[in-house]
Amino acid sequence: MLIDETHKKWRDFSLVFLLVATAFYCWYPMRPPQGRNGGSAVGIAFGIIGSAFMVFAGLLGARKKFPVWRLGPAQTWMRGHLWLGLLSLPLILFHGAFRFGGTLTTVLMVLLVIVIVSGVFGAVLQHYMPRMMTREVPLETIFEQIDSVRAQLLEEADKSVAAVCGPLGVMAVGSRKLPAGGYSERGGATPAAAAAATPALALTEEDSAPLRSFYLRQMRPHLEKPGAGDHPLADPGKASGIFEELRKRVPPMVQETVEDLEDICEEERQLRRQARLHHWLHGWLLLHIPVSLALLVLGAVHAYKALRF
Amino acid sequence: MSPNALVELTIDGKRVSVPAGTTVFDAARMNGISIPTLCHQQNETPVGVCRVCVVDVGRPIYAASCVRPVEPGLVVTTNSDKVIQARRTLLELLMSDHPTPCLRQQHSRDCELEALAKQAGITQPRFARRTVAHGNDDSSLAIAVNFDACILCDRCIRGCNEVRGNFVLGRMGKGAQAGIAFDHNLQMGDSSCVSCGECMVSCPTGALTNKKTLPIDVGPDHSAKIAEPDELLQLPVFKGVSGTFLELNKGAIVRRQFRRGEIICKEGEYGSTAFYILEGKSQVSIRSPIAHVKTQDTARGFLSKMVSTLARRKEHPREEEANRRHIPIDAPADLAYENPVAEMGPGDLFGEMTCMSFYPRSATVRALTDCTMYEMNRNVLDILQRNKTFKERLDSTYRERALSNHLRGVPIFAEITDDFLDHLRKTVELVRYAPGQVICKQDDPARSFYLVRIGFVKVSETYPGGELVLAYLSRGNYFGEIGLLGGGMRTATCTALDHVEVVRINGEDFKQMIERFPQIRRGLEAAAQERLQQNRDRLAIVRSVPLDHFLAQGLMEAQSLLILDLEKCTRCDACVRACADAHNGVTRLVREGLRFDKYLVATSCRQCRDPLCMVGCPVGSIRRRNSLEVIIEDWCIGCGLCAKNCPYGNINLHPFEVMEDDPIQPRRKMAVVKQKATSCDLCSDTKYKEPSCVYACPHDAAHRVDPTTFFADKLGQAPGLTLKR
Repeated sequence: MLIDETHKKWRDFSLVFLLVATAFYCWYPMRPPQGRNGGSAVGIAFGIIGSAFMVFAGLLGARKKFPVWRLGPAQTWMRGHLWLGLLSLPLILFHGAFRFGGTLTTVLMVLLVIVIVSGVFGAVLQHYMPRMMTREVPLETIFEQIDSVRAQLLEEADKSVAAVCGPLGVMAVGSRKLPAGGYSERGGATPAAAAAATPALALTEEDSAPLRSFYLRQMRPHLEKPGAGDHPLADPGKASGIFEELRKRVPPMVQETVEDLEDICEEERQLRRQARLHHWLHGWLLLHIPVSLALLVLGAVHAYKALRF
Repeated sequence: MSPNALVELTIDGKRVSVPAGTTVFDAARMNGISIPTLCHQQNETPVGVCRVCVVDVGRPIYAASCVRPVEPGLVVTTNSDKVIQARRTLLELLMSDHPTPCLRQQHSRDCELEALAKQAGITQPRFARRTVAHGNDDSSLAIAVNFDACILCDRCIRGCNEVRGNFVLGRMGKGAQAGIAFDHNLQMGDSSCVSCGECMVSCPTGALTNKKTLPIDVGPDHSAKIAEPDELLQLPVFKGVSGTFLELNKGAIVRRQFRRGEIICKEGEYGSTAFYILEGKSQVSIRSPIAHVKTQDTARGFLSKMVSTLARRKEHPREEEANRRHIPIDAPADLAYENPVAEMGPGDLFGEMTCMSFYPRSATVRALTDCTMYEMNRNVLDILQRNKTFKERLDSTYRERALSNHLRGVPIFAEITDDFLDHLRKTVELVRYAPGQVICKQDDPARSFYLVRIGFVKVSETYPGGELVLAYLSRGNYFGEIGLLGGGMRTATCTALDHVEVVRINGEDFKQMIERFPQIRRGLEAAAQERLQQNRDRLAIVRSVPLDHFLAQGLMEAQSLLILDLEKCTRCDACVRACADAHNGVTRLVREGLRFDKYLVATSCRQCRDPLCMVGCPVGSIRRRNSLEVIIEDWCIGCGLCAKNCPYGNINLHPFEVMEDDPIQPRRKMAVVKQKATSCDLCSDTKYKEPSCVYACPHDAAHRVDPTTFFADKLGQAPGLTLKR
């Protein structure tokens, strides 16, 4: 989401509305005898309008549940959510005359501030991060498929190395490895890498040893457990150095395989980056949505209590 | 000398008498003396080209015994060291050009050249091998041709011309380039070869070998048995077919008995055989519901929900839809749209497209009475189709039963009268083309009008820098009218994409037809104008789009792209959920695809200008509207070939539960799942202007655009982006 010139109308409307509301807020204490408070007519009006804006902002979630309902384009709802939701904060502050009141209203104010701050934070993230993701993750895939792409990368790497080094003695992706290269045995499945390991190039054991050792001791564990962020291959600079060193140790005919492996590591790093960016891009909603719901429910309780008593 | 007079001569020291005119080769053979040979066969005129049969006749030059007539007192030596050495040298020369082991040697170990070479003790020829390969010709379904294995003995040529009288084979080229040729140097499959197999059985090497196919699986069914060649040759339709060939391809044709009500083949299934009805009647029908997938609102107002349903044409007529009355299928009869059922009887052949081009079965065939059928593989079908007797019978059946429906099935020709149709029955030709064969070429004179009967035809136009595909035509489509109506020259090249059969109406008949039926002329002229305009537009786009990357991603081919602005898209998948919601949970959009600039071209129908999805549809149900929008017609049988053919993965199969007659309990209905192909329809069946995916995007990232307009500034053309909503 880009907050750009397409938001101009909403931005201008919000500014004008805020100015008018501020003017009212400045004007109205001259009228009621008790000064500015939420119980006055203007205060209630601020409260109702502010609450209405909050409810509208909250309805975006419901709107998304029914994407094909023709209730207005979703982007209009999103813009309303952003600007009206933001306006609700000054309106509620005007409603309470910048006083937090009792426990419930204090809680409500805290929740509102959390919602607004988390919302602004989310909007800022969604403004910048899609560009970052587009730039930094050219090999982006669907988030839910990252695990399966990782499994494919591991399988591809196994096959590439087995094609020059012969059977690796490791098990298929999704099953388990044989006890080789320091790995433990966990299950009995067909060794895919071994099966697919008819060497295209006949390297001697001595020639293939550096590649085999690097792959089994460094790269494969990294591909298998990509979460370990301190792995040297997770760092582009260090990885480049490692592969440069490896190139010097393997025969010329294997250089292409080394390049393939380097590409696989780069793709793996991109997937990690994508997962991280994705969590940032959507993680804030874990706070924003429940707090918003709590705010709406408690706001309704507050309105009920205030009107009844 | 009288022809009956005897001539006395000496062969290898033995005095013999033979009739005057006998060749030395025959004289030796008659007297038990064997002379090796390659080019000579008893049933063919001797030509003496291989020279392997050389003998010493006391002259300075050795004579080829197969062509040298005997003379009184002639002294012949067939096995002196010098003669054997000369023969050995000849064999070495032949072997130096011969791929060892050749196909024949590999398959049956009876290559005559390799046998003679082995006999002479030749393991490695002294001479350098030929550096330029002559190559293979794999175009015939029955015979494999390897020109490298050919020793130019001419046995195949004499077999074709003298023994069979077909006159297809001949010699071409000179010196090292010399070789055998079919017709005027055509591919064997494109030539007038009738696949009699005589050349193949005459060939001494692996130059011409039988393409044996896997035998048809007879299975445990006792009502099926492999047809014996003798049994087949007694049938009139097999008259003229080579018995040798049938013997070599034993197992490729099976005689099957079907009981009344039994299903012979089912629509949508893949197969590789065709059926010839010998006895009994069968019914051909489409069992899938004749309906298309329609997305509609369940209620009025903004809270309406969208569901996908199967809608029949009467319930939901589509705009601009051609008024088709027949459904084209892979059988001698087209099915009426209103009631897609027809009968077939003795002499009918069905499943040709499945057999020749491996398309899914286009319809379900059920035995109406007890039936006897021959099920055959494609090599046997090819032989039969090249056989004059069989082809005449098929052509005659087509003229009598299907031409009328076929021609009148094209709306423009609906008004054609019976008497003119009778005239056409006598004059039209059914012409077959092999895959890749050019039917008519751009800028050549236009002499005929064509109606596609079987297969797919690619229409393309050349332009500086490449070839532009204008259309793919399937059964029921026509071409060639623009050239005949216009300046008399072809404006495009039409090429057979697979095994194609067309109905050719000659120019004179076409002229008569448009003079006699002005409405047909008007219809054809309007259609021609429309086609020409579309072609001009497409060519203009191709010429104006210079970006290789844009072209490489196939974006130029698209008429409408769903693009996601990746700088706005938060990857929330609201678009995918909206699409799934709009189509009963079956999304027609995947948020993945190629990137162009900062845009992701999502996996969703692009309405391609070159719609590869249409190639191969066994019932021709996927087509383009006049607006170029790709739609799937009601008679889609859900075989999924279009989904496989779409290079962008943009066609899905949508399952629907429908009620069908229970085959076990005839009075009851049972629920079965039938599939219909679907692609993005831009939610055009709804009253809304915007597709659901675009409407549901909260970040203004999803857009449906015309790529050439939208990317205009990226392509260095008009500035500014124009969004098509």
